[in-house]
Amino acid sequence: MTTLRLLLAAAVLAGSGIAAHGQDLPDLDGRTIVAVTENAYVPLNFADPASGEGVGLEYDLFNEIAKRLNAKVDWQLASWDVMIQAVRDGQFEVGMDGITINDERRQLVDFSDSYLTSQQFMLVRADEDRFTDAAGFAADPNLLVGAQAGTTNFYVAVYDVLDGDEANPRIKLFETFGTSVQALQAGDVDTVLMDQTSANGYIGANPGAFKVVGEALGSEDFGFILTPGSDLAGPINAALAQIKADGTMAGIEQKWFYDYNSAQ
Amino acid sequence: MPWWLLAIVLIFVLGLWAIIGDAGYAPIFRALSGGMVTTLWVTAIAFSLATLLGMLVALARTSGNRVLREIATFYTEIVRGIPVLVLLFYVAFVGAPALIGAANWLLAPIGGSVTIRQFDFAWRAILALVVAYSAFIAEIFRAGIEAVPVGQVEAARSLGLSRWACFRHIVFPQALRTILPPLGNDFVSMIKDSALVSALGVQDITQLGKVYSSGTFKFFETYNVVAFLYLTMTISLSLLVRWLEHRLAVSDKR
Repeated sequence: MTTLRLLLAAAVLAGSGIAAHGQDLPDLDGRTIVAVTENAYVPLNFADPASGEGVGLEYDLFNEIAKRLNAKVDWQLASWDVMIQAVRDGQFEVGMDGITINDERRQLVDFSDSYLTSQQFMLVRADEDRFTDAAGFAADPNLLVGAQAGTTNFYVAVYDVLDGDEANPRIKLFETFGTSVQALQAGDVDTVLMDQTSANGYIGANPGAFKVVGEALGSEDFGFILTPGSDLAGPINAALAQIKADGTMAGIEQKWFYDYNSAQ
Repeated sequence: MPWWLLAIVLIFVLGLWAIIGDAGYAPIFRALSGGMVTTLWVTAIAFSLATLLGMLVALARTSGNRVLREIATFYTEIVRGIPVLVLLFYVAFVGAPALIGAANWLLAPIGGSVTIRQFDFAWRAILALVVAYSAFIAEIFRAGIEAVPVGQVEAARSLGLSRWACFRHIVFPQALRTILPPLGNDFVSMIKDSALVSALGVQDITQLGKVYSSGTFKFFETYNVVAFLYLTMTISLSLLVRWLEHRLAVSDKR
């Protein structure tokens, strides 16, 4: 009798153990999440040149999050300029575009936990010999950096390369990555900051025009933006933590930052 | 054939040759051609509605009713003075939520409701283009209407024609001749200005160009194709406008 009770107790414990594993994440019951991105940020979100389909790290990551929460994703597109406002208005429930988490934005939208810490590198013209790292760049007041207002490369340029003044005249602002790189090639600016994948892409697409100098810069944390008061923050963070813990995230990063050849 | 047209045809052929012949250009062309459909339908709808609204505003501006005249002039002056891009953001994020609010207020008694999500960016962009262009088109219509000598209207009215009949049979047919060329011009310029809808992420030629160039890092190759596609549309249209002008001039001489 005692043996039987012990066995039963063990079975219950084992059963609850298994159940607890599955219950780790909330079940959204097949709900559809309206997500938005722009498809203009390699390798996070961009249009596959061959098919035109949106692909990238953020697609893979958020689809995985939704899968684990038993939710579907309705992917929508909007430009970066209007994304925060549109998510704030509730037109989209969650937005992602390599969005740096900061306090100013926190007043407008909710953020998930960070899913990625960006590393930025200095792309320069191939014949650049006036500086070889960020300190050398900062020391020469004649050197200019091209950036997109309100993006990661802008904040890294301000806080990790220059003096922390967001109005520093040494930062020239451009509309897109593409235009700032054209300005770099033309000699209007002397460096543009970007992640390794994009740097490799530009170097590959313009043979002999560019090179990378210096170490990885910056520690900008990217988060998903959510409509204020969204009930998705908890479930997304829980799924994100699990995806990071079980190694899935490392695999996704490996795929898009190292294995993907953007210059092909 | 005049020299300038010959030069354009030559450039067009060379461009087409490059796109067909260069393996690098073919995928860009394929990727952007979908945007051409978007650009065309956005322009077509926005321009038709803007013409309609512009005509109403012009009628209000030339009407005998002072209140109508003042309101129409106020509208024209305000809208004309705001850059289209700025207007686009206002319409998308102030105007659209307000419209949705108004629609919900109207629908509430019958239990209906709409959400902001049902009013997508393409339609907000169209609305912005309609508002922006209606002010300019109103001025074109007004100029056309006022170009008809007032004596003709007075004569028609004294012969017993109603205000509407006078407008319909005397003023409008003559005004149309003055209106058509600048109206065609505005259509051509709206095709170009429709590129502004890319600021909202609407997948027109410009936005697809932005997306394609950022995905492949081929900046100028992509924008060459973007320019080529816009030129194809704008030049064929301005040729059409020229032909129309020519036709109208012929009937003028008769």
